[in-house]
Amino acid sequence: MNKISYFIKQSWLLIVASFFFGLLIAVTNAGLSPRIIQNKINKRNRLVTGLLPDARNFVPVDSEIVIQSIEGRKTKVEVFKAVAENEECVGWSFNAAGPGFADKIELVVAVDANFEKIAGFDVLSSNETPGFGDQIKQDYFRDQFEGAPAEALKLVSLGEPTEIDSQIVAISGATVSSEAVVEIVSHSVTQIGEQIRQKGILGHDQK
Amino acid sequence: MTKSNDKTALRYTQTLLAGLWRENPVFRLLLGMCPTLAVTAAVKPAFTMGCCVIFVLLCSNIIVSLMRNLLKPHLRILMFTLTIATFVTIADLFLKAYLPRMSEMLGPYVPLIIVNCIIICRAEACASKNPLLVSVIDAVGMGLGFTLTLCILAAVRELLGTGKIFEIHVMPEAFVPWAAMSMPVGAFITLGLLLGLVNKVTGKKA
Amino acid sequence: MDTLSVLLMGFISVVLVNNLVLTKFLGICPYLGVSGRIDMAFGMGLAVTFVVTLSGTLTWMIDNWILMPLGLEVTRYVCFILVIAGAVQLVEMYIRKFFPSLYDSFGIFLPLITTNCAILGLCLFLHLWMVDHLLDAAVRSFGAGIGFTMAICIMAGIRENLNMADVPACLRGAPITLITAGLLSLAFMGFSGMIR
Repeated sequence: MNKISYFIKQSWLLIVASFFFGLLIAVTNAGLSPRIIQNKINKRNRLVTGLLPDARNFVPVDSEIVIQSIEGRKTKVEVFKAVAENEECVGWSFNAAGPGFADKIELVVAVDANFEKIAGFDVLSSNETPGFGDQIKQDYFRDQFEGAPAEALKLVSLGEPTEIDSQIVAISGATVSSEAVVEIVSHSVTQIGEQIRQKGILGHDQK
Repeated sequence: MTKSNDKTALRYTQTLLAGLWRENPVFRLLLGMCPTLAVTAAVKPAFTMGCCVIFVLLCSNIIVSLMRNLLKPHLRILMFTLTIATFVTIADLFLKAYLPRMSEMLGPYVPLIIVNCIIICRAEACASKNPLLVSVIDAVGMGLGFTLTLCILAAVRELLGTGKIFEIHVMPEAFVPWAAMSMPVGAFITLGLLLGLVNKVTGKKA
Repeated sequence: MDTLSVLLMGFISVVLVNNLVLTKFLGICPYLGVSGRIDMAFGMGLAVTFVVTLSGTLTWMIDNWILMPLGLEVTRYVCFILVIAGAVQLVEMYIRKFFPSLYDSFGIFLPLITTNCAILGLCLFLHLWMVDHLLDAAVRSFGAGIGFTMAICIMAGIRENLNMADVPACLRGAPITLITAGLLSLAFMGFSGMIR
């Protein structure tokens, strides 16, 4: 009994404070978490609407899509169906990630309704060298992906960037970053496209 | 009556100013280096980080000062840490809710405010020994000094690294940005040179 | 073989490519403070390695097995810092009992490891990098400690020589150390792209 009362006498402040702080955190979290979740959704919507301008709403795909990441691990991917105001499917979007030059590169990729052409990509997060690898965010690199076939793309060092085909011209001085983006996009588009077709989700909404 | 009021007012002003220059946490006390180097690539994140630190410093100093007579000596660091961690969590939640872009740019450095030496040192050295008002003023002074330092460093780095300040183009068209400034190299070297400058100005020897 | 290569890549990534001190700016305070002599630097590096491996693994377990399944992610920071403080206490008691001379030479630095950004930073990075295997987390934590030790020993070696160089008075001490660290980080940038 003595030991317990000694223990309590020494640490009552700690226990009371822990309760109080825990309560404070819980209240703040409860108050702010709807907003935080909404922010995440807004961000994704904002980025994809830049790629698929007609999209008004994003519906998550029901079945589970599991692909093998570039590093070889099985990861679950959330695929979203972009629908216009009249409920018609205008495209699909999903996140894709992979190793870049410095760190991980995270992209959001959008493809057209038939999963045949890539609508484009946007960089969610990357840590590439400013002025070099960072150029993957620039329009002249990203535009090459718009309308490219939704299959395995190839990186070339010389070529015509305005020609839209499965060849992507690398950024001069940033070959590794360009290669990383091409691989991430190809990898995810081919695998997810395969699974979507397999599960018959694609066929569903061709009205 | 007036004389003692004047003296207290002077003491408060001195405490406030100390945090800004004489005991500037980054330049003189060499505390809080980690966020200084990490978030100062541009002025906006630096300013946001500074404001977060002011918030946490203020709240923690207030709570610690209110608790100062109840603290048991061997548990006090634990209490400080718990207090600071709570307020940093709250600040992080607010940032994620209201400034999501800033939250992304600052990334993992917001929770690192918990181990920012400045806050624990001020709690230990000042708030646990002084009444409420002095602790508050000390927190404000230190926080402002820290924010100012961050902004100065960020201004230099952003200006030379991208030609903009606060995302407004300032440098002329012909200026080629020094990409190195946006990278760790620029951070270390700029801080080192600024520290050297401060040392020279204050005549400090080693 | 696959697991081994993933582990190895994770290890090298944390030691060289994403060195905590030189690319992520973590652990600067003790870095500036203790890198005066090589033996102290090495000792500090070892202590940090031990603590960071222990806390990295522990916090990963707590994060993935308790906090996330129960949705208590908001308490992450509080839990992490408490675990780290506990781990540092443990290491302190251990060293005081078995290596008292080492304990004396450390002085204030050992409890200061708690406020070492590198440790909390690594625990948070383990979450950010979405490390999903316990062994991977343990290897990366260990790698972080080794990277820190390496950076601090290199710096200590350079500083020992700098003492004899003609550094201007206003730059002596912290400023020249920071500038040296900047040059070191530039050198370490050469390791980028090692990981594919």
